[in-house]
Amino acid sequence: MGTGTIAIETQSLEKHYGRVRALDGLDLRVAEGEVHGFLGPNGAGKSTTIRVLLGLARATGGSARVFGRDPWRDAVQLHRGIAYVPGDVNLWPNLTGGEAVDLLGRLRGFGGGSAAAVRRRRDELIEAFEFDPTKKGRAYSKGNRQKVALIAALQTPADLLILDEPTSGLDPVMEAVFGREIARVAAEGATVLLSSHILSEVELLCDRVSIVRAGKTVETGTLADLRHLTRTEVSFARGGLTDAQLASLPNAHDLRTEVGRGVAEVGRGVTEASRGVAEVGRGVTEAQGARVTADGSAADGATDERAARRVHFTVDSDDVASVLPALGALGVTGLTITPPSLEELFLRHYGDDL
Amino acid sequence: MSAGRAGRLQVLVRQRLRRDRAQLLIWVLGTGVLAAGSVASVVKTYGTPQDRAGILQVAVANPTILVLRGLPDGTSTGGFAFFELFAFLAVLAGLMSTFLVVRHTRAEEETGRAELIASTPAARTLPTVATVIVGVLANVALGVVVALAFLTIGVGSGTSGADVAGSLLTGAALAGVGIFFVGAALLVAQVMRTSRGANGVAAALVGAAYLLAGIGNAVGALGGATGAAGIDVTSAWPSWLSPIGWGHQVHPFTTANALPLLLDLAGAAVLVASAFAVQASRDSGASLLGARAARASARRLLASPLALAWRLQWPTIVGWAVGGAALGALVGALGPAVQSAVNSDAAALRQIGGGDPNASIVSLFVRAVFSIIGVLAAGSAVQAVIRLRQEQTAGTAELVLAARVSRATWMLGYLIVGTVAVIVVLGSAALVAAALLGADAGPAGATPGSATAGDVFGAALAQLTAALLYLGGLALVFSLVPRATIAVGWGALAAGTALGLYGALLGIPQWLRDVSPFAHSPAAASDWSGGYWMLALAALAAAGAAAVIRRREVV
Repeated sequence: MGTGTIAIETQSLEKHYGRVRALDGLDLRVAEGEVHGFLGPNGAGKSTTIRVLLGLARATGGSARVFGRDPWRDAVQLHRGIAYVPGDVNLWPNLTGGEAVDLLGRLRGFGGGSAAAVRRRRDELIEAFEFDPTKKGRAYSKGNRQKVALIAALQTPADLLILDEPTSGLDPVMEAVFGREIARVAAEGATVLLSSHILSEVELLCDRVSIVRAGKTVETGTLADLRHLTRTEVSFARGGLTDAQLASLPNAHDLRTEVGRGVAEVGRGVTEASRGVAEVGRGVTEAQGARVTADGSAADGATDERAARRVHFTVDSDDVASVLPALGALGVTGLTITPPSLEELFLRHYGDDL
Repeated sequence: MSAGRAGRLQVLVRQRLRRDRAQLLIWVLGTGVLAAGSVASVVKTYGTPQDRAGILQVAVANPTILVLRGLPDGTSTGGFAFFELFAFLAVLAGLMSTFLVVRHTRAEEETGRAELIASTPAARTLPTVATVIVGVLANVALGVVVALAFLTIGVGSGTSGADVAGSLLTGAALAGVGIFFVGAALLVAQVMRTSRGANGVAAALVGAAYLLAGIGNAVGALGGATGAAGIDVTSAWPSWLSPIGWGHQVHPFTTANALPLLLDLAGAAVLVASAFAVQASRDSGASLLGARAARASARRLLASPLALAWRLQWPTIVGWAVGGAALGALVGALGPAVQSAVNSDAAALRQIGGGDPNASIVSLFVRAVFSIIGVLAAGSAVQAVIRLRQEQTAGTAELVLAARVSRATWMLGYLIVGTVAVIVVLGSAALVAAALLGADAGPAGATPGSATAGDVFGAALAQLTAALLYLGGLALVFSLVPRATIAVGWGALAAGTALGLYGALLGIPQWLRDVSPFAHSPAAASDWSGGYWMLALAALAAAGAAAVIRRREVV
């Protein structure tokens, strides 16, 4: 397994296409045996990084090392141990899927395994992915083309799997099959670099993740590490609590009261909130009016409406415990505490307001 | 609703014209310039009616010349230029139509773009209608330009003014041939599954039309139907199977009979109607040739970049080889006729054959036809390198290069397959020719007055070097400027053919003709200096390409 040794390391990696800086000082470290999520918005430079790591593109600046070797110079030797699934799989129109799978396995030298073992794995994978290998390349749908690349990559033993959005086009059942296969190769000690937009997949499979934006790494660490950077959301029924009581909550951020029952009430909330903005100047409407924020003074309506209101606030994930006694003292009802979702994590990093 | 339909049709026609504007302009104007230059050269070289009559007599007495030229149409300058040029121009028109139609039909379906259009109210048929319209427009433009080229005969020549009617008829005949092939390509594109296959079959039809017209003329001349002055030929039936033959029958500068043009138009109408009928009955993207049951796993041998290159290309190589074998059959079938032609004046053939005074007429004829087979061989080489480029753009090269394959090894596979293709094309032509000639197994020139197996295989071998130079040279272009590979490949082949094979006919100066690799093909068994130079250059270019590609990103 070789824990501690580095499978992939890039330092200040740069790749320019004319005046476009696809990679602008990207740092990436993947330890051997680790399943590493490689995340970032479209055009962030994920595929370019992968092409450099495969020796298909040459770095303009900085350094890239795969198992300690230069991927551009030593591409052929390195590729024996690397299996690759491109994001957009193109097949030869007149070769069948089965032929393409076999050809790629052989071109990889069976990954150092035996032909018979690879053949057995191939047949198992074809069955697991419910793949028809007898059709010509031109006849496959996107998902089925993806299966060709997945089966070709997974059939041979590999020290490193580089997967560029490998499940795009797969149905959920096949995604589950893919997840099982990755868990299997990871258990066997392979290193996996998984570029993906599917957050549940990342959450399920990855030990660590790196988030890139505009050709740079903006965040890297375990998912637990990244969660620390975010806040936990707390909410409870407002009931008859006063603003002063709410203000006494320690470490609470973004404190607000929301109306959130049905669509109709949300619609009403919007008008109310905008009235609040007009009259009091303290209400804030959030994106698309789906979440409405207004302070207590904007809501002097009937008590049943008041009862439908919920107080929301966020708290640093490390400070959750410190809020609980205060909540207990207020005797709140309908308490929910939501850990930060990966979506929030990513939206934070993908959005423009970084 | 009908106004909307007309509007959509207009959009589609305009989109095609816009997409093709550079390409069609080059085809039309290039052909026009070629025609004008050749006409000027004819006027200059064969100034008097006596000169022209003399050449025509030689041609009629040597039907092999008729195979590769055209049908005599009197001794006027225009008629003589028509004889020399029409078949050649008609092939260009046919190829223009073929590529135009396939580009906008089968190729669009193959890439999936057709589906995007078919999902709009334009549906499935309107794009095909637009393609026919653009094809007809392009050929009319070509006809006009060539008619103008023939009208320049009057300019500056004191003997006879321009024959306006004859020039216009020539242009019309040419447009007629081109429009026929619009229909032919349209139907072929419906039947074939890939654009490569459709282009191959439709282009082969153009070649077959050229050969059929020539064979019909030659057979007519051999049958003695040559008129009183020995300069008229009544074509035999094979010519009437060929749209190019129909064009010849117009005789624009003598009898001026436009009726055969109706055959072109009627033929085109039938072909277009059939294409629409086929299209109406099939799914978008599907073809008449259905998918066959295929292998679930690869053959044992499909395990290297070379094996992949071969697996991808052998069907195309077979296509080129069939073309070579057909020309080889022509050599074999007409060889005896050449030998028995009584009034043999060898001068013209000798010029084509490279001026070897010791060669027999038959072996000169063999060499002349093999120079065309050499173009096919070079074409197969060009296509091998173009395949590299196509693998690169299709994204399939990435899969191979991400495996344990270096860029140089990857390219080498295609170069080896290209070399094999060249050998297969030339070899199949030589085998068929030698077998049909019943050639003696002797060295070149061993039997005076006929061709030996040595003559035939020697002529084939002589074409090897130019084809290999195309292979190596284009590989170097691919390694340096991949984007230019396809244009440079076919462009260089066309230019090399025009300069090297037809340069003398087109009145192009020697230094420019020498640019063409074909001008340096070893003409006689004894003089291989040009051949060795080309071999060395080909090897150098290939080595250079390998060195460059080691240092460059490919995908």
